[in-house]
Amino acid sequence: MRSRVSCAALIAVVLACDAGLHPTTACPGICGTVTFRGAVPDSTQAVYVVAYHTFPHSRDSLFTFQPPVTSLQGLPLDGAPAFYALPVDAGRYEWVLAVWVKQGFTLATADSTLREAGYYRDPADTSQPGVLDVDTSRPDSIDFMIDFGQMHPPCRYYDPPCP
Amino acid sequence: MPVKRLLIVTLVAAVPHRTAGAQGTAVVYGSVADTVGQPLRGVVRVVGSGFTSVADARGRYRLAVPPGRVTLRVSHIGFGPVVDTVTVAAGDSLEHDYRLRASALELQPTIVTAAKHSQLLDQAVTSVALVSDTDLARRAVSTVDEAVNLAPGVLFLNGQVNVRGSSGFVEGLGSRVLLLVDGIPANQGDRGGIDWDMVPLADVERVEIVKGAGSSLYGSAALGGVVNLITRDIPVGFHGRVRATAGAYADPPADVWTFRDYTGALGGLDGTASYGTETLRGSLTLGGRHSDGYREQDRSDQWETSGKGEWRLRPDTRLTASGAWTSHQYEVFPTWCVPNACDTRGQAFQPFRIDPSGRGSYTRSSKGYVAATLDRTASPTFAWQARGSWLRTHFTDFNPDDQSVSNRLGAELRGVLRPFGDDDRVVTAGVEGARTDVTSDIFGDHTQGEFAAYGEAEGRLGRLRLSVGTRLDYLGVDAAGRSVVVSPRIGAVVPTAAGRWRASVGRGFRAPTLAERFVTTRAFGFDVIPNPDLDPETAWSFEVGDALSLGSRGRLDAALFWTEARRLLEPTFVLVPPDSVPKIQIRNLSRAELRGLDASLTVLPVPALTATVAYLFLDSRDLATGSVLSFRPKHLLTLGADYRWRALSVGGDFRYTSRIERIELEAVFGRDPRVAAKVLDVRAGWQHGPLSARLLVANALNYIYNLVPRTLEPVRTFSVVLTWTY
Repeated sequence: MRSRVSCAALIAVVLACDAGLHPTTACPGICGTVTFRGAVPDSTQAVYVVAYHTFPHSRDSLFTFQPPVTSLQGLPLDGAPAFYALPVDAGRYEWVLAVWVKQGFTLATADSTLREAGYYRDPADTSQPGVLDVDTSRPDSIDFMIDFGQMHPPCRYYDPPCP
Repeated sequence: MPVKRLLIVTLVAAVPHRTAGAQGTAVVYGSVADTVGQPLRGVVRVVGSGFTSVADARGRYRLAVPPGRVTLRVSHIGFGPVVDTVTVAAGDSLEHDYRLRASALELQPTIVTAAKHSQLLDQAVTSVALVSDTDLARRAVSTVDEAVNLAPGVLFLNGQVNVRGSSGFVEGLGSRVLLLVDGIPANQGDRGGIDWDMVPLADVERVEIVKGAGSSLYGSAALGGVVNLITRDIPVGFHGRVRATAGAYADPPADVWTFRDYTGALGGLDGTASYGTETLRGSLTLGGRHSDGYREQDRSDQWETSGKGEWRLRPDTRLTASGAWTSHQYEVFPTWCVPNACDTRGQAFQPFRIDPSGRGSYTRSSKGYVAATLDRTASPTFAWQARGSWLRTHFTDFNPDDQSVSNRLGAELRGVLRPFGDDDRVVTAGVEGARTDVTSDIFGDHTQGEFAAYGEAEGRLGRLRLSVGTRLDYLGVDAAGRSVVVSPRIGAVVPTAAGRWRASVGRGFRAPTLAERFVTTRAFGFDVIPNPDLDPETAWSFEVGDALSLGSRGRLDAALFWTEARRLLEPTFVLVPPDSVPKIQIRNLSRAELRGLDASLTVLPVPALTATVAYLFLDSRDLATGSVLSFRPKHLLTLGADYRWRALSVGGDFRYTSRIERIELEAVFGRDPRVAAKVLDVRAGWQHGPLSARLLVANALNYIYNLVPRTLEPVRTFSVVLTWTY
């Protein structure tokens, strides 16, 4: 009988170990989880997730992303999947991507010190970027992969693209 | 005041001359001890009457009894009771010593609530849960609601008691459970809710919880159940008790939830002193408590006092006066913080921090009662009781500012007839009246009168014990209508080889409170408007149960219940011309059905170990919509175990409450997280002579959860209770 009582107590403890309420990050606009592939380059300064209302087809529109630079938060680069939360305005977003920033970045050297390292893809056609509408609903599962072996310079997406 | 005058006249007429009673005195005296001769402060009681004596520190007792043949019951915490019949002549005395055997399980408890007179638990036609003095002592709880909370079939939702899912959660407006203090109704006069802090826990000897409709004896509010707090008897001689409590709340389990830079503490000190002779006895309790709270804006300070006096005019006549007063000032935690209302530090919710709109909210609440009761056993076949009471509650809220004062004057005259001097035939009948007034800036100034007559007859028909009774209630409210409610009940108990089966059908009702009729305020951004024409809620309760004794090893009790309720009061949105702006009004709306299984098992696998399992399955439906009733969890499981080894004891309770499927205001709170509650309490105790120390870790696993929207339930709380008893 003692063993039954001990067993019941153990069951109670195990049941209660399901932790109840826990901290849950609020999604202020666009949220999701990024996973990583490849080795992080030694020259890495930081990796950020940003979003564009319209696709940046020229260098002039390269810095029209959201959130503002002052709100950017670098992703942890320990190899584990990382949650991100972008505090963006309501509206339509054509491109949500991860931007790799090389050490020594300046505005003048942006073309050579920034790289697209991965972006959210259209679930129906994964060759295309996914388009998001942020309004009263906050998309909170905008997950994609960052591949440090497949990074591209911004001019690849210019019109016309760089060679 | 006609009620007051009636009460005084009744009491004066009923008090007999002392000389008339002196001739009838007989005395039984002796000692109470355990099987190795250690003295026990046992309680010696004459069964079926109010004659009681509590043994002193040396185990000596002296009990005045009516002459003739009397049945004595001797009991003590942690020991099996002894029932003995003695015969003693008038003017004579008789010595009897009693030896009690250790037992954590009381196999034949005596109860007083189910039928409004003393009876054995097995004679009750409805389910009754008991929280004994043993339970109170071992759980080391500090408040009455903590003591009641773990009883089988009982669940508290943010301070609101539910018996088999009776009340749900209605923000304190009305309770479908009636609170009694020594049989005296104690629900608030204005809101109809229950102030669990009205009586210090130190005064409570045991709690009886009668489940299902109890209006056939108790009238309004006893729709879902009755909770009766039985206060302690006063022993002969000088006695005292001092209890000190100290503890701390766990810090939030995540850094992002941190809301203060210190650990919250709690503490309290209370003391009771009593002195008694054969004829006069009195006790006084004083106490105070402070808590920092376990979340932001959650401090509270409480001062309480209570007193009780007994004048035993004759062995068969006792006048008891009692009262309690509590002053409680507490900060109010409105709802927790969510995005757009405050800085959540990037979180979807901050359960320890408040919504800033409620910053600065606090309440000053004072409440108390005085009561006088005259018990007289006029003959071996007839006993009666007269009582009068005054209950007063007063609260002042700050941010938002509102206040209310209510008074409830009540009186009751009751007789219990046992035509053959035994329990085979018992007739209980009485009349009861009450006048309630309220003065408030949100409820207005109003009065309500209640008058009732009731009667119930119990008798044996072969093996069957049948009970039939009814009550007629008349309620009149100024600026509103009058109503008459009839509440019958019929029940039966039959002993079989498979336990004592019971079945009952009864009607319950709850009159709208003055607050529900006349409230004028704003809530959730809407005007709340009065509705004086509300009708009482009513319900029919059916129950079939079985109580099976497992010898000295345990007891199993299981009941299937079914309640069908009509015209339940609920807040709803209404469009009122000419502006047709939505407003909130309380109306008689729903029909509901609550049915399920309520079972409990207590076993003593070895003498030092007690284990309990209690389970409630509740299927509740709104009959108009077919949806689940809000705030009614489907499963409620309680596991408990206590082990005693010499002066040491250890134990624990685990309570599982399934996730609440539906809540009110789904549009506002529906996306909030809701989880099942899984709470483990552990405790340890040590007793040495007059000193005892108890350690309690409530919610030991620091399970973070809520039961009502955006209101965090208590986190892990560590407390130590030191008690010195003289």
